[in-house]
Amino acid sequence: MKFKTIIEPFRIKTVEPIRQTTEAHRAAAIRAAHYNVFQLDAEDVLIDLLTDSGTGAMSVYQWAGMMKGDESYAGGRSFHAFVASVAEITGFRHVIPTHQGRAAEHILARALLTPSAIVPNNTHFDTTRANVEHCGAVALNLPIAEGREPQTIHPFKGNMDVAALERVLGENAGNVPLVMITVTNNSEGGQPVSMENIRRTSALCRAHGVPLFIDACRFAENAWFIKTREPGYADTSPLEIAQEMFLLADGCTMSAKKDGMANIGGFLAMNDDALAATCRNSLILTEGFPTYGGLAGYDLEAIAVGLYEALDPAYLHYRIRSVEYLAEKIIAAGIPIVRPAGGHALYLDARSWLPHIPPHQYPGWALSVVLYVEAGIRACEIGSVMFGRQPDGSERAADLELVRLAFPRRVYTQSHMDYVAEVLLHVNTIAKDIRGVRIVEQPPALRHFTAKFEPLAR
Amino acid sequence: MTRHRSWAEPWKIKVVEPIRMNTAAERDAHIREAGYNTFLLRSADVYIDLLTDSGTNAMSDRQWAGLMRGDEAYAGSRNYYALEDAVRECYGFPHLIPTHQGRGAEHLLSKILITPGDHVPGNMYFTTTRVHQELAGAAFHDVIIDEAHDPASEHPFKGDVDLEKLDALVREVGAERVPYISVAATVNLAGGQPIQLSNLRRVADYCRARNIRVILDATRAVENAWFIQQREPGMRGHSVAAILRMTCECADGATMSGKKDSLVNVGGWLGLREESLAQEARGLVVVYEGLHTYGGLAGRDMEAMAIGIRESVEEDHIRSRIGQVHYLGQRLIDAGVPVVRPLGGHAVFLDAAAILAHLPREQLPAQALAAALYLESGVRAMERGTVSAGRDPNTGDNRYPSLELVRLTIPRRVYTQAHMDVVTESVEEVFDQRELVHGLRFTYEPKVLRFFQARFEPVRMDLC
Repeated sequence: MKFKTIIEPFRIKTVEPIRQTTEAHRAAAIRAAHYNVFQLDAEDVLIDLLTDSGTGAMSVYQWAGMMKGDESYAGGRSFHAFVASVAEITGFRHVIPTHQGRAAEHILARALLTPSAIVPNNTHFDTTRANVEHCGAVALNLPIAEGREPQTIHPFKGNMDVAALERVLGENAGNVPLVMITVTNNSEGGQPVSMENIRRTSALCRAHGVPLFIDACRFAENAWFIKTREPGYADTSPLEIAQEMFLLADGCTMSAKKDGMANIGGFLAMNDDALAATCRNSLILTEGFPTYGGLAGYDLEAIAVGLYEALDPAYLHYRIRSVEYLAEKIIAAGIPIVRPAGGHALYLDARSWLPHIPPHQYPGWALSVVLYVEAGIRACEIGSVMFGRQPDGSERAADLELVRLAFPRRVYTQSHMDYVAEVLLHVNTIAKDIRGVRIVEQPPALRHFTAKFEPLAR
Repeated sequence: MTRHRSWAEPWKIKVVEPIRMNTAAERDAHIREAGYNTFLLRSADVYIDLLTDSGTNAMSDRQWAGLMRGDEAYAGSRNYYALEDAVRECYGFPHLIPTHQGRGAEHLLSKILITPGDHVPGNMYFTTTRVHQELAGAAFHDVIIDEAHDPASEHPFKGDVDLEKLDALVREVGAERVPYISVAATVNLAGGQPIQLSNLRRVADYCRARNIRVILDATRAVENAWFIQQREPGMRGHSVAAILRMTCECADGATMSGKKDSLVNVGGWLGLREESLAQEARGLVVVYEGLHTYGGLAGRDMEAMAIGIRESVEEDHIRSRIGQVHYLGQRLIDAGVPVVRPLGGHAVFLDAAAILAHLPREQLPAQALAAALYLESGVRAMERGTVSAGRDPNTGDNRYPSLELVRLTIPRRVYTQAHMDVVTESVEEVFDQRELVHGLRFTYEPKVLRFFQARFEPVRMDLC
């Protein structure tokens, strides 16, 4: 290729104005939000990197699909379009739409889990863990050792520790109703899982007769990492790689708000007929009839189109490169981040960056507050606030204290990224002065969404 | 005939969706493939789809513009605040928890308020509502007036609560075992029948004196408000919007499916007055639905619902909405077809037990009639009788409701008067040949909410 610059493989069709605010305004806003960025009004945020979930920009083809939505309650043609896409990509026999990913997890958990059952996963994400624990089961994380070392470079840091999984399956025969593998591994830094690792995990599960489900939220990004990093896949298309990944599993849960390129939606897919029947009956109760699963017909159309757009090599190249671009600037400035950069987000290593703040003063949370007050950037803590509280109510420091800058798909430009880099370089100059926070009030589950905080005195 | 045109639509058509009439041979193959359950037909094989008015609405150009204004921020989306404003202004509940649809709100409410062993009275059951109550460990008790169970009674407010029945239940089990009364406006399974404001106020007074909450199923409360305005003495001078607020003032909370009155394709909410209950609901909504500022909806869907709520309380809209239902109903009455009287808000309910009087209840006459109507003309209707009522969770026996109905449900702003004329002719045709309709029996019966996915086969006359 003659030119090195990666451009966006699209042009802009519709824009949404954003507004600058003053530091005084932001200081007042974060105080009113009890120092919890989840509680901020979106209008007070300049660049919203809270999540890549449901925040993407849809294409003209997806919007055209919205107009084609068939809103029939039962048997709508939008459902059939949706099933055709999901079935081609995943190969699973049963496709069950849900209003979003956590509903798919909830239904699967209700169908398979009993109290005291053990669910191994390379790393559970917050809602997955909540759904497993809600059934009284144990959510067991089995990442490879490198996955817990932010500074170690490894091409597939999201991998499952297969030896540990083998031990768990051997010691708990009959008490592991399913194994999950999350691609990419969000909580460990958006790190990919190799095909070889999925293959070995799959072989192990099949030898023990335990079904393997993929948490497929970012399956397309994972496929791109396999294509670019794993020997033998350079000439294979992302679609073919995705199909091979799913062939190794017995089912998947999916939030279409990520690699479905949609603003809402998800699904549960599997091969087992009896399990599918159980899941559909459960679906009707909390989601909706099996041919719409709590989604409008227009949402089903948008997902049917979006799943293929997420697998477009030109899109994936731009997507992954955008995150790397920002990571290079940050690393050059000596700011500690999880390396290598993940697929959908850049993870600041708050424990290394703010060594003066101990885990129980939540360094990641404190950093997320500073990023907002300094520059209107909203980021998400993935550390001891999100994961520190144990099912028995005790506190334990999380393995990593991270702040995730998640990139909405196709939303922000390179100039936005340059601004974010400039802000981080500035925060680096004031890092020593950042103070910890304490929790004032918290709900029993998923506390990070609604807990109230206050800054600690110096 | 000009009388019937008084409801002329207060809009013109902006976008259309083609539909197709198929052949009798095709329909015969499709209904077999669907196990004689209209839920299992493909929409592409349906000519006029009267299965439900839920989520099947045509949105306005303003609502579509609202979709383009969707703020998809995960937290604190401006569309959430727009929805909160609309709900506070039109329904009056200070605390709003959005949910992906109505059953999401029912699920949350049942989990928060019910302790196993509780009793929940209501003005007739609704399928998903009762299942959520039962799964949370409560027993449901029907306290609707007797007239509701008589399809021929002309009582103007067949959705009313019988306070004597309510009082008998409360005395029997004790007020402390009754966490709330579930009051629907209108009452779907009674035939879309309204409850009057004075009755609801008496219920509220009775319950407040005993610390029992009143939870409104507000799904079609705007349609209910229209009936109050038209039929309740002294209410003519009040706007539908004002009556809606008066209705909600009687309640401590409401579950809402925006897919009905609010003119959207997806969305619902739980509205509450008590701060502490709202906090509990917000803690749960994040587990099942999504963060409390989006509740499992895209930002754009909240915007469309906020606009739809305001459109739904416009007098012209609601007059034409119910006018169309009554146009269809009156034509069927004129043709001598037995329907639930008086005509309800969102649907015309055919009295299947009367139409197919030759079929015993165990041959599921309403299911059979819905299948026959599809075979005749490609019109898709919904069974609302024995199959929908399910089995008693304790005895395992079929529950035979007094009403064995087929619902011709009219989606909002979707079909024209000509479509309604075709429906009339189709129903008349089936009615004229009713002796030829076979009964049905189950070949597959799911345990919960069986009507959605059950499959059937015809019972041949010569075999029974």
